[in-house]
Amino acid sequence: MSTRQDQHTERPERPEDTERPGRPRGVALLFPGQGAQQPRMAVGLYRADPSFAARVDRVLALWGAEGRAIRRDWLSDAPRIPLDDLRRAQPLLFAVDWALGRTVLDWGVRPDALLGHSVGEVAAAVLAGVLTLEDAAALMADRVRHLAAAPPGGMLAVAAPVAELEPLLGPDVVVGAVNGPRQVVLAGAEAPLAATEAELRRRGLSCRRARTVSAFHSPVVARAAALSLSALQTTLLRPPHLPLHSGYTAGLLTDDQAVDPTFWAGQPAAPVLFGPALDRLLTAGPLLLVEAGPAQGLTMLAKRHPAVASGRSAAVAMLPARPADGDAEPDAVRAVWRALAEQGRLQGLSSTIPAAAASVGGSTGTRGAP
Amino acid sequence: MSALTIDDLKEILRAAAGEDESVGLDGDIAETPFTDLGYDSLALLETAAVISRRYGVTLTDDLFDDIATPQALLDEVNSVLSAAA
Repeated sequence: MSTRQDQHTERPERPEDTERPGRPRGVALLFPGQGAQQPRMAVGLYRADPSFAARVDRVLALWGAEGRAIRRDWLSDAPRIPLDDLRRAQPLLFAVDWALGRTVLDWGVRPDALLGHSVGEVAAAVLAGVLTLEDAAALMADRVRHLAAAPPGGMLAVAAPVAELEPLLGPDVVVGAVNGPRQVVLAGAEAPLAATEAELRRRGLSCRRARTVSAFHSPVVARAAALSLSALQTTLLRPPHLPLHSGYTAGLLTDDQAVDPTFWAGQPAAPVLFGPALDRLLTAGPLLLVEAGPAQGLTMLAKRHPAVASGRSAAVAMLPARPADGDAEPDAVRAVWRALAEQGRLQGLSSTIPAAAASVGGSTGTRGAP
Repeated sequence: MSALTIDDLKEILRAAAGEDESVGLDGDIAETPFTDLGYDSLALLETAAVISRRYGVTLTDDLFDDIATPQALLDEVNSVLSAAA
């Protein structure tokens, strides 16, 4: 990991990194993961947009009775299983991420990159054709079943560089995610994590607990995660037909990596290098980043990247920073639709713009070139 | 201690982001939501920590549950500062 972090810190200035007015931006879809879940996330959109609702319902139906229980808890003000429980957070994030990403593809956009954070990478993989929605839903159910039986733990976001934190980590506490130059998430069982947190706070570092009762992306869940390998070995994995970037390799996935069952089985226990992965994307050329998921966490990370802060690249989100009933969620989707139209990425759909925009897009059934 | 100004706060926001990151804080941002400026909960905690250190005030971790913009943060910090004066 240190090598990748070094690359991240150096931020190599490549020729194409310089600003060229008029150069069209590529489009990258970003999919958030565990920690981005919010009560009633995307419910406003689910109520307002029949095509989005149909996509979410299609995912939930793949989980049968459990899918119905998930839907009840998602729409309820008093869920029987709390949203932060991985049995709710993981499947709902997968469903919302995938449904939003599918929405953009159905507008006729062919993205130049897909990048997911944690479980968001599974949604990205489905959209890139690595596995079918049905197989991914089965993987999610299998993964959640095993992870729910894993030892409990926690995660702690710390505002400090990895290099500064590593010497301060207690035993059994690891770097679970590198989200930015000064945004690191630690993971571990509760007691060692609490001890490390106390030490970091004593040193004046800003810390915040992530909303999880599991130590994702740490050895705590490694055995449970590995139990998904046998099912994955019988799942057809295909090379991606869209450029699929990984938060685990911090780069574009090769075909060999994408079809490797051990790569997918290991993800819940492997560190997420989202910051370095995003940095590589933004360094390669100007992008319009579109966050297909709740909470705008990835959008906010991107806005602090020099490429976005300078205006060379831009970041928009399909859902508001906080869930909202009424028009706020459909309005956010419409704004993304307009941003993509301004980039000329919806050109083939010009005649359907008013109808699609009015219905939050996609429900017209228009796809691809006219 | 004199009151915190929007320019003071911009400088603090830049300090909280760190030198490896960069933020677009030019122009009138007083009423721009922190989320639009790219300040998530961890970045805001860091912002509060910088204010606490420089101004000797104690800001609670749940401060930002109700504070969404730089102007609201300015008002809160200045009311704490004037109460302490």
